Amino acid sequence: MSTAISYQQACLNRASHATPPLRADDLSRAALLAQYHPDHAADASTLLQIGSSRGQPCHPLLAGLLQSNALIDGFDLAGAEQRSTDVLVLGGGGAGAAAALTAARGGADVMLASKLRLGDSNTVMAEGGIQAALAASDSPQQHFDDAMRGGHNCADPQLLAQLASDAPGVIRWLIELGMHFDLVDASSDGGKLRYKQAGGCSQPRILSYRDYTGLEMMCVLRETVELEPGIQLLNRCPVVELLSHEDGSCAGAVLYDLEYQRFIVVSARQTILATGGCGRLHLQGFPTSNHYGATADGLVLAYRLGAQLRDMDAFQYHPTGVAWPQRLRGGLISEAARSAGAMLLNGLGERFVDELAPRDVVTAAILRECAAGRGIVRDGQQGVFLDLRRLCGPDLPALASQLPALQHLADKCGIDPTREPMLVYPTLHYQNGGVVIDSQGQSSVPGLLCAGEITGGIHGRNRLMGNALLDILAFGRRAGRQAARQAQAARNKSSLPPLRGGIEHVYRWQRQLALAGLDASQQAPLLYPGQARLTLHRPASARA
Amino acid sequence: MSETICISIDGKVMAAQPGDSILQTRLHGPDAVTANIGCMGQGVCGSCRCLVRKAGERETVSRLACETVVEDGMQVSFIDYYLPDHVHRYRPHDLRDGWQALPQLQQTFPETAHCRHCGGCDRACPRGIPVQQGIALASRGELQAAAALFDPCIMCNLCTLACPENIRPNHVGLYLRRAQAIQNLRPGDLLRRLEQQARGQLAIDTTAHLARSES
Repeated sequence: MSTAISYQQACLNRASHATPPLRADDLSRAALLAQYHPDHAADASTLLQIGSSRGQPCHPLLAGLLQSNALIDGFDLAGAEQRSTDVLVLGGGGAGAAAALTAARGGADVMLASKLRLGDSNTVMAEGGIQAALAASDSPQQHFDDAMRGGHNCADPQLLAQLASDAPGVIRWLIELGMHFDLVDASSDGGKLRYKQAGGCSQPRILSYRDYTGLEMMCVLRETVELEPGIQLLNRCPVVELLSHEDGSCAGAVLYDLEYQRFIVVSARQTILATGGCGRLHLQGFPTSNHYGATADGLVLAYRLGAQLRDMDAFQYHPTGVAWPQRLRGGLISEAARSAGAMLLNGLGERFVDELAPRDVVTAAILRECAAGRGIVRDGQQGVFLDLRRLCGPDLPALASQLPALQHLADKCGIDPTREPMLVYPTLHYQNGGVVIDSQGQSSVPGLLCAGEITGGIHGRNRLMGNALLDILAFGRRAGRQAARQAQAARNKSSLPPLRGGIEHVYRWQRQLALAGLDASQQAPLLYPGQARLTLHRPASARA
Repeated sequence: MSETICISIDGKVMAAQPGDSILQTRLHGPDAVTANIGCMGQGVCGSCRCLVRKAGERETVSRLACETVVEDGMQVSFIDYYLPDHVHRYRPHDLRDGWQALPQLQQTFPETAHCRHCGGCDRACPRGIPVQQGIALASRGELQAAAALFDPCIMCNLCTLACPENIRPNHVGLYLRRAQAIQNLRPGDLLRRLEQQARGQLAIDTTAHLARSES
């Protein structure tokens, strides 16, 4: 670790500036990113050796999972329970819930399987809010332009245009399900929505519910799914492999039922992967703000079946994760804090970056301060200060009413935010890349759709605040609608239940592994990131 | 930190680091953790709900394991999730008519009127919500006031487990909050934007950024 300024000294330096100066910048944004962003580290990228995106750059840890062997073989399917459905949704976060509800409304029989429990996902942890261009001075075009610029002009223009255009309809849908939003004035006719500023945006466009927007959203989505008769819910049933037909199209999935410790083979006309990202892989050794379930499971399975990927070397490290105490390391401090006026200070008490620059820029700037010895160290944990003094004052509402989640977090850290700053350090937050999809959420594999963080292309190489909660719903609904349409078309052709598939693609994959000289003893998906591994196959002696 | 302490989780004794949460201790244990885990410390998902008894105490309290720091001799039992079969289903569009709010509440949650005031829900709530008061307000028809009390609820279902009358208080709270939004929230800016889009306005030029990046 490089040298750093002690916490005590940094506090003294901070106290010497009533209004901390913003240091002039001697590095262009491009140079800052190239030198300090974790994506640009020498060991942060390798080339994929097999599969439909062979030759593309990918983070090595993720490449290891993508280029690994299946958890099951044909033997496991022999005695498994057989079920069938029109639409199988894998993943119980916001994207999965939106897809399932929309497919059910489209007349399909829906099965939703989740690894943990419906709602256990990054969605419930999202704090900041959701972007929708509603102000008279704003427009979907400006929403598109901001996100395109923030993503370094790498986004798929068609997908991004849909994201921005879908936003008003998504907000209406959420209100129709019973979600609340922050209002400037609740007494005015119909309520006047509050807009917050996000980093990298030309004007305030974030709609929120306090600083736990994702919780409010997921509670409403979960209740709606649980009470929807057209959706069969399978909690604690992680997907361990997809199924394929002879023509390579997706035929459903193999689940592992944790409660009964057995495999379930689900034959589906259409399968939607909404399994999220990979934060729990701790890329580049960073802490993560992500949920326990974020282990890239769906990504691994989609790739094995032949789906194309993109931007698998672009990740978002959120600038402000908790750095102290260690017990809470990596936990998220929402961008809403900086949106409301919180400042970033180095150990010298200087501001060193515009706090509302795009996230990758702010993150690189923090890492630069730490590398240059201007970071702050407390009990061995390094970071910079997030100074909340501009949010706390006699004329301002209490922090607990402005940002209750932040006050709750400060309490857990044992910090009084009115008097002392919080120590922050970037935390792995979001997977910018993922499965290539078309405008309806369809992957390059027929019968396999994807929605949410597992997809790539919508945000380019850097997502803006508030576009993830929008993405999961806009594209979750699109995927659900398309899957229901396709399932209906298949039913019109044949009234028989969906045909059973197999795992021929796994055998093809094993041949590719062997030809490339890759280690076939490595198995994925990971499923659970804890230290102890789940064994899917009980030893014969333990079987009755 | 060299000193370790012992706690028992679901009947298994484990070594724990002082300062760690119950959940972190469980993750360091010998078994794969496949349930009762989620947001890993943010305290928003309610998955890691558990019963905790401290050494030398008789009383058992419900807690979130990700936010509870271990103490020597602590006994912890995690609580499963399930959807009970006495759930009365409703759909969002059933809540549109505010004039039907009271009869509809009685129809969807008839048990609300059966509260015994045992206080089990209040003791169970990890967020300190006055749950029982919320149910009392709801059954008296003071729906807005009742809804407001449930604002910080994370739907951990501990009050539902604690209720001997199967009231499912957190679901009553969520129902009332949803009804509020469904009936009242009609922001003018959103209405205008939707109407503009319905008229085919505000299409996006997906090539504008190309000109910008060349200049």
